[in-house]
Amino acid sequence: MNTRRDFLKSSALGTGALMLPSSLSQLFEAPVARQPPMRFIFMHKGNGLFPSVMVPPSLSAQDMEKENKKEAFEVDLDKHELPKWMSVLNAHKKDMTILQGLSGRMCTNGHHSWQSCLGVYAATERLASIKWATVDFELARLFPSPLEHIELACFPDGGGNARGNINGIEKGFSARGPQQPNYAFGSPKVAIDELFKSVSNNESGRVRYELERKLLEFTSGNQSGLSQDLIGLELAKVKNYADAMEDIRTRNRKLDAMGDIIGKNIPKLDKKYFADNISTIDRQLGHTEILLSALISGMTNVVTFTVDELGTPYTGVPGLETEKINLHDVGHGKSVGKLTAPEVREQLCHSHMTLIDTIVRRLKSVPEGKGTMFDNTMLCYFPDNGETHHSTGIEWPYLIMSGRNAKLNIAGRYIRLPYWGTEGHKTIGNWFTTILNAYGNPIKHFGDLDLGLNKLIADQTGPIKRFIG
Amino acid sequence: MKYIFTPLVVLFAAANHVANDDVPQPVQRVLRTYCYGCHSEKTSKGEVRLDTISSLDAKVRLDLMNKLQEQIHFTGMPPQDEKQPNAAERKLLADWVRGELLKSNAPLIEDKLGYPDYGNNVDHDKLFSGAIKDKPFTPARRWLVSPQIFKGRIIDIFRLKGEAYSKYKSFYGITAPFVLPDRSGIRDYALTPLDGGHLLVMLTNADWISQKQIRAARVKKGDFKADYFENPSDRFSPPTPSAFEAVILNTAKPSDDAIIAAIQAQFGIVLKRPASDREQAKYLAMTRSAIDLAGNTEGLRQMLVAVLLESEFLYRLEFGEGAADADGRKMLSPREASYAIAYALGDWGPDPALVRAAAEGQLKNKEDYKREVLRLLADENYYKGVIDPTMNNSDDTSHPKIIRFFREFFGYPNAVKVFKDNKRSGGYYQNPGRDSSGTPGRLIVEADKIVDLCLKQDRNVFENLLTTDQFFMYHNVDNEKGLKIIAGWRELYETLKDTDWRKNPEKVFAEHQELCKKHNVDLGKLTHSNDLRRVMEYFSFTFGKGNTPFTTFPWAHGSNFKYSESYSIGGTPGSPFRGEERYDENHNLNYPVVQPFKLANHMGLLTHPAWLIAHSSNFHTDPIRRGRWIQEKLLAGRVPDVPITVDAKIPEDPHMTLRERVESVTGPAQAACWKCHQQMNPLGYPFEKFDDFGRFRAEEPLENPENLIKKAKRENDADSYKAKPVSTVGNLRGTGNSKLDGPVKDSFDLIQRLSKSDRVRQSIIRHAFRFYMGRNEMLSDSQTLIAADKAYRESGGSFKAVIVSLLTSDSFLYRK
Repeated sequence: MNTRRDFLKSSALGTGALMLPSSLSQLFEAPVARQPPMRFIFMHKGNGLFPSVMVPPSLSAQDMEKENKKEAFEVDLDKHELPKWMSVLNAHKKDMTILQGLSGRMCTNGHHSWQSCLGVYAATERLASIKWATVDFELARLFPSPLEHIELACFPDGGGNARGNINGIEKGFSARGPQQPNYAFGSPKVAIDELFKSVSNNESGRVRYELERKLLEFTSGNQSGLSQDLIGLELAKVKNYADAMEDIRTRNRKLDAMGDIIGKNIPKLDKKYFADNISTIDRQLGHTEILLSALISGMTNVVTFTVDELGTPYTGVPGLETEKINLHDVGHGKSVGKLTAPEVREQLCHSHMTLIDTIVRRLKSVPEGKGTMFDNTMLCYFPDNGETHHSTGIEWPYLIMSGRNAKLNIAGRYIRLPYWGTEGHKTIGNWFTTILNAYGNPIKHFGDLDLGLNKLIADQTGPIKRFIG
Repeated sequence: MKYIFTPLVVLFAAANHVANDDVPQPVQRVLRTYCYGCHSEKTSKGEVRLDTISSLDAKVRLDLMNKLQEQIHFTGMPPQDEKQPNAAERKLLADWVRGELLKSNAPLIEDKLGYPDYGNNVDHDKLFSGAIKDKPFTPARRWLVSPQIFKGRIIDIFRLKGEAYSKYKSFYGITAPFVLPDRSGIRDYALTPLDGGHLLVMLTNADWISQKQIRAARVKKGDFKADYFENPSDRFSPPTPSAFEAVILNTAKPSDDAIIAAIQAQFGIVLKRPASDREQAKYLAMTRSAIDLAGNTEGLRQMLVAVLLESEFLYRLEFGEGAADADGRKMLSPREASYAIAYALGDWGPDPALVRAAAEGQLKNKEDYKREVLRLLADENYYKGVIDPTMNNSDDTSHPKIIRFFREFFGYPNAVKVFKDNKRSGGYYQNPGRDSSGTPGRLIVEADKIVDLCLKQDRNVFENLLTTDQFFMYHNVDNEKGLKIIAGWRELYETLKDTDWRKNPEKVFAEHQELCKKHNVDLGKLTHSNDLRRVMEYFSFTFGKGNTPFTTFPWAHGSNFKYSESYSIGGTPGSPFRGEERYDENHNLNYPVVQPFKLANHMGLLTHPAWLIAHSSNFHTDPIRRGRWIQEKLLAGRVPDVPITVDAKIPEDPHMTLRERVESVTGPAQAACWKCHQQMNPLGYPFEKFDDFGRFRAEEPLENPENLIKKAKRENDADSYKAKPVSTVGNLRGTGNSKLDGPVKDSFDLIQRLSKSDRVRQSIIRHAFRFYMGRNEMLSDSQTLIAADKAYRESGGSFKAVIVSLLTSDSFLYRK
């Protein structure tokens, strides 16, 4: 457990998270330092991710035995083959980490985990279960940007956690603060309409943009007028609200000033990506382009991307174009077309890897400082619910791509950490603490503790120290 | 783990004495005379040094100055047995510290006194002495609406014809922009300013609301069909107000009159008042401009959103009206009063009678207020609903907000926030999870029922809440129905018990088909089937052992009634899972059908498992927190926060009980700790009679691998450990009554004494004041508090009398 002192020290997670931000200007502020900001991409999938499929097939017999016994070890990836479904990332092995052995039993597990996988607590569909801001928002606050954070999603339309409108803006996996879910863009169309409206070529988009500007101008003036003759707390009750409106206007002005760069980076997507009945694979591709545009243009430094969820209606999968794949059935071992369930999983994960390859290649092609934008990027690919379809959180595999300015000393390695319950075991809480500590948030421990683990290991709090470079 | 003192390194970096160069000489003299003796290089008690202030880093210095100001304000230092500065010396020191803090624009003690943690800082004896004759008032203010009132305001936007609030359960597109602080005690204070986070949420809310407000008119206009919903999960389709419809359906640009009608309609719907001339003119210009840009529909919607973003929609406004009296106080306007009364008693705005009273000038004096308060307290329907829709489900009750006061005061709803290791309970305890608030959620509802019962009786409410032996458990059908179920089941059991039901249920069923059908017993094999053999097995283990079974079968769909052990009355027999029926010998619940029932070994809410769990940790009881609760909530005392220099941890020791371990680091032998802990620990130790699940016990298992006696065979059963007897002796100090103060033998002794204390009664009334006024009491509220206390005593302990007294007090009526 954290002490009160730790709590006070980590302002962003302490009072900052318990009370919503008092000043939006802090959130929207562009970084002052000349050094480029770090970018973070959290890409997660549903239906679990088997630890066994993450293992390089070329491990020595000795290492494979350790792997099978879930004993800690690590190897350099450049001396090994990647699993076949990951092979599209062969060119990026030196930037890659396969991290095994984390657990997340303090999360809601099973089919769905809601904000658990990013917040490290037992979240459910009830908003009251959201305890604090998720790790992606905490990082976004360390690297402020005009839009702070963007969430994109391939929403489910079934599977026990359906969103009403898979093409709309719905509750996502991230949380801004306690009981404050974030909202994600469900389709490339709605994301482009909302994110790039300031440079929209389309008449209705421009009108909407203009209307929003006028509304804020009006309400901001209205509220500012109320603050006359007030002092102290009573002044703050009105002025903070008026100031917040003014902050958004300032942010909008910044976005306007970035018009050229945003315009240059507006995703160039074919018509099919704007259709309501877009296939899942196209939806993922479209979202990937938006993710890249948002990062490259500097609108945000953090993107969370639900690449699929248990109830996502999978369509357009190469080789299975005529099928609508039900991930829940796949989770229960049902084959689809000629493919067995494990083969379907492999096919879908392979498709995710091609998206990651696109992201990494593109960012490597954007010059930044003395290198490229990828140097200042970290991408995490992981399951939203742990190790399998009906997960318990006993394992939580991660694939990480990180550039050379990343502050974690993990790149180019396959790392298996000690298994749950054994000395040295680490949870996703330790993992997120490591990332936060490395980038400037001094929190002692991010997330809830695993009560079952408490008796088995001496201290489950803190970062994974050896990862901090 | 050790109980560690971590010094503020920077604070003591200066090893040698450094003169306080910039501290004025007179101040230095006071410090030298009264402080340096303990807080300088040689002693630095509590790890605080005051002889090096000048050399400290600015941040550390300010921190120290803040602490110094607190000590001066609350006369915490010098200790009572040391030489004391006189009034002039105290003032000199206080003025200097204040000046230093002001120079740095640092928060002052005055700013803090309004915050909940500082509620008890107003001297209790002075408050109730009768010597204070100041005229009470509340500062003029905006009070952010609670999440519950926010929901009521959203409903008000759509209940255009005054439909019942209960018709609206939830809104797909609405997120409450604020949450009440997660703390024990009164949570809704008029202190929170709206900020950027609120705005971001409100922008989304306003967009959704405005889309819904105009949807019906857009269908009429032909924008889309009535059965088209962009989001199939969000099929809410309220009517569009006629003034909006007139603008939307107009094929030409609307006239100014039409726009003004729409503006006035939206002000009426959202802010419950007409727009002023100035507002009307501003909104007309804005709407006209938006219509020119985007057409009638979107232009109109722009105006709807703008009104929804008015901060007034999220605040309760209480400024007072008319001429100020001789003390500079203004009475609430009738409209403000109608909202103040309505929101004091519930989450909905004024009912039609209250609106009428305000409009007709019938809210001008205390008698008017009293009439309306009594009327609403007698109304069983207007506020009827669950106790707190934002926390967990409960049965409907007539005045949920009154029960919410006791929820906040006692803090038992925090039980859902304490996660337990289910195995330690023996497997019965279910943590909150998806779709369920688990065992603590059910215990909270059962604690609510005790509160509801005491409020309905409305006699000696505080004393009964503390000492009642009347409890509720599993009570999901009323007494009459429950008795009928048990009588029927008994008839079935008695008739069939000597038949061959175990080996030949089909034959027995055929011979007694009518009786079986009468009691919904069959031969089904499904998960939830009441098949004959399953039912008879259950009855054999209950009726057959002389016990009464619970009135719902354990395998019934959604049944989660497995936690009777929380009440120390034996486990609940049976299992929800077919094939895993478990009839352990200790599952011998004798279900009390008629409730409330007399429960042994528990006394009032402070021994209710919900309260005990709420005031426990994941693995242990928490005597310090329990003691602190009593000190602050019942004795109107104040315990300082854990010093920031202390990393408070209880050491592990496999041979000691928790109490012993706590005592080893906070007991009298640790003088620095004991100074504060003596105000808490002796009040919390008596509750060691209960474990951290709230179960009555004589011994505490020493849960350490070293003490393991037997590992459980089944995964969810508890392991057995060596145990030690618990000690429950404690000490009560601070009631102001020598007959009550003194050593106590256990929690029951302590509770009995507390229930007889005037100070405890007055302390509860102080908290009620905070709940209804949304602020801490000031000395000038003395008359209000004395009157409320008197109303309670003279009415024989009626809480309604307290409410009426508070809501007709000057503190409630007047603003300044």
